[in-house]
Amino acid sequence: MKQLHEYRKSDGRMTMNEMNENMKKSIDLNAALTKEKEKEVDVDNINKRNESSNYRNLYVIIEQVDGKITPVGLEMLSEARRLINDFNKKYSLNEKVIAVILGNDIKHLCKDLIYHGSDAVIYADDPKLNYHINKIYTKVIVQIATDTNCIKKISPEYSKEFKRPRYMFFAADSTGRHLSSTVLAELESGLASDINKLVIEDIDFRHEHKTKGQMLTFEKTLMMYRPDFSGFLWTTILCLDNKNPDIKRDYHPQACSIIPGVFEPLEKDISRIGIIEEYTPDFDPKDLDIKIISRNILKDTIDFNNYKTIISFGRGIKESPEENIKLIEKLAKLLNAEIGISLPISKKLFKLSDKMNSLYITPERVIGTSGQKVEPTIYIALGISGASQHLAGMKNSGFIIAVNPDENAPIRNECDVFIKGRIEDVLPIMIEELEREKMIQTKEEEGSNVVGTV
Amino acid sequence: MSLNIAVIIKLEPDFSDGNVSYNPDGTLNRAETKTILGHHSAIACQAAFYAKVKYGARICIGTMGPPMAELALNQSLLLSDAEELHLYSDRSFAGADTLSTAEVLKTGISKMNDGKSMDIVFSGFRASDGETGQTGPQTAWKLGFTFLGNVISYEIDVEKRVITAKRLVSYGNYNLIEEVQAPLPVFIAADPSYKSPFITVSQRLSASRYQKEAMIRSSNYKSILKVFNAKELGVDPKLVGLPGSPTIVYKVEKIPKIKSSRSAQTVENLDPGEISNILEKIHETIT
Repeated sequence: MKQLHEYRKSDGRMTMNEMNENMKKSIDLNAALTKEKEKEVDVDNINKRNESSNYRNLYVIIEQVDGKITPVGLEMLSEARRLINDFNKKYSLNEKVIAVILGNDIKHLCKDLIYHGSDAVIYADDPKLNYHINKIYTKVIVQIATDTNCIKKISPEYSKEFKRPRYMFFAADSTGRHLSSTVLAELESGLASDINKLVIEDIDFRHEHKTKGQMLTFEKTLMMYRPDFSGFLWTTILCLDNKNPDIKRDYHPQACSIIPGVFEPLEKDISRIGIIEEYTPDFDPKDLDIKIISRNILKDTIDFNNYKTIISFGRGIKESPEENIKLIEKLAKLLNAEIGISLPISKKLFKLSDKMNSLYITPERVIGTSGQKVEPTIYIALGISGASQHLAGMKNSGFIIAVNPDENAPIRNECDVFIKGRIEDVLPIMIEELEREKMIQTKEEEGSNVVGTV
Repeated sequence: MSLNIAVIIKLEPDFSDGNVSYNPDGTLNRAETKTILGHHSAIACQAAFYAKVKYGARICIGTMGPPMAELALNQSLLLSDAEELHLYSDRSFAGADTLSTAEVLKTGISKMNDGKSMDIVFSGFRASDGETGQTGPQTAWKLGFTFLGNVISYEIDVEKRVITAKRLVSYGNYNLIEEVQAPLPVFIAADPSYKSPFITVSQRLSASRYQKEAMIRSSNYKSILKVFNAKELGVDPKLVGLPGSPTIVYKVEKIPKIKSSRSAQTVENLDPGEISNILEKIHETIT
């Protein structure tokens, strides 16, 4: 429970004492909550009370780059489809998954979004939307999210009272992360970032500010699960209306950004049908002074797919980081392997030479849900304890070897061979053995050459 | 006309070896971990310092945090030779999410340099503890500034009041460098790979002159430090701290272990024979 307020702390900047105090409060609160939760929830009653709502549907903001939908877009649609199917069944409603896509000459992409799970697509097609410019895209997304005309066609039964989406999904990538922030700043509602699990539930909740200490029910709450940087803890973040009469305020949509690669996209189903609506945005002429003057696609320097073997390392390098990485380099060379790292390592935890830092301590090398997913023939995990976010990125590898001094490390359950030991003790033996093999091999080859010439 | 620059920074746990402490379950032990100026905040200061060296900018640095965050402000001063430091500190700010933090920072920035309007505001990529990366863009939006994220370098045409910035945009395996031009004012979130190119000798000389100046200023940083509480800042209490936060942390739990699909053979004895057997297996699997 140490990190209960990790997320708050992210920008809240509390002192340690305040944090501990808050943590204690929350623990008490959770205990009270569990007791209260045992009460039965009267579903019929909820439906009656919910006949009118200003907030409807789940909007999924799809990104496209150079006319191609980014994979996370389809992954989000799949999860949105699952959630809304369950939601409609549970609450006897008819809310929709609405994909939103912006760009230039992208109309043809809309059908694909229907085939992959959305009920409707709202698109804006304009040369001014050719490239992603945060200010322009934010304004257009906000216009679409608050537009009632499209909703008349998509959700006629709810269009009268419609004001805003109930839920919104964005991609947690370098553009979606910023777009989600600015859109929600404009809509003045809550946003959770880097989510990898979602549940919709009615919750009973008591909070000093949100409910003025009263136990109240928050219906259809989107529970947004966020793995913390260590990968061992899940923080559930909620975006809740202030029901406290002193600060009464609605906070909708409930929004989040979703980690790419977490959800499986649905199979393309060309029999699916849906509504496709064009939206014509208003542009502020001043914003058009923001111009993209050049774009250069970088060839990725680290392509794990080209290697049969991947060796990655984690915090286990700690006792002699520089020397251990040198050993890892040697082993990688002998096995013709690419080198990966765990997420914590990318935080520059250790004092290393500039060369090592710039070569290995880079985000492109991270393996896991916050980095790349890999499936090599051989995966060697060195000094990696095995946080679930790392395991998710490598568990489909062919043959997995782990080196770790701690036999209770979770990685042990996800590997084929577990070598109990430290990197600095195990690698020299491996390297020596491999070098010896190589020498024998070269000698044999030389030998056969001689035979050949005779 | 010189440029008017703001930097927003954050006091964060120090994740470097020797200063960080982990609980047995691998999570951060906050009580035992030291705090420092965040790594990404430091990069934001360096980005602001570039404008000082190249365009003679005036810099003011602001942070929301507990009283001890003034140490982070002093560290930022050393990196940027700032003229003014702001600390926004009030118990009522505690528990703020990104939206209500952005509200405080926006209000603070409007009070910098006697309320003169800013040309550029810098922030880091994201905090190393919270990692949301939302506070920067949300502050930018509340200020009405054009937001430029992941900036790796920039140049300014001071007369035309136009900035040209290079951004590193990444979509997993598909990365690109985009050059964007925008009228001032702008809000820049510096990318972790941001670098200031001090190319000419005169730039390097003036950089070292400013660095010396920063050392002197730092020794008496309290004289340029302004501390604001909620009332002094003039923020609406409903928009800051917990009341102004749409989001709350509902619960924290351990992530359940992925169901194991393998059962490992454990090697405890580190003798060359055993290791050789494993290497043999590697060769077999590959071929």
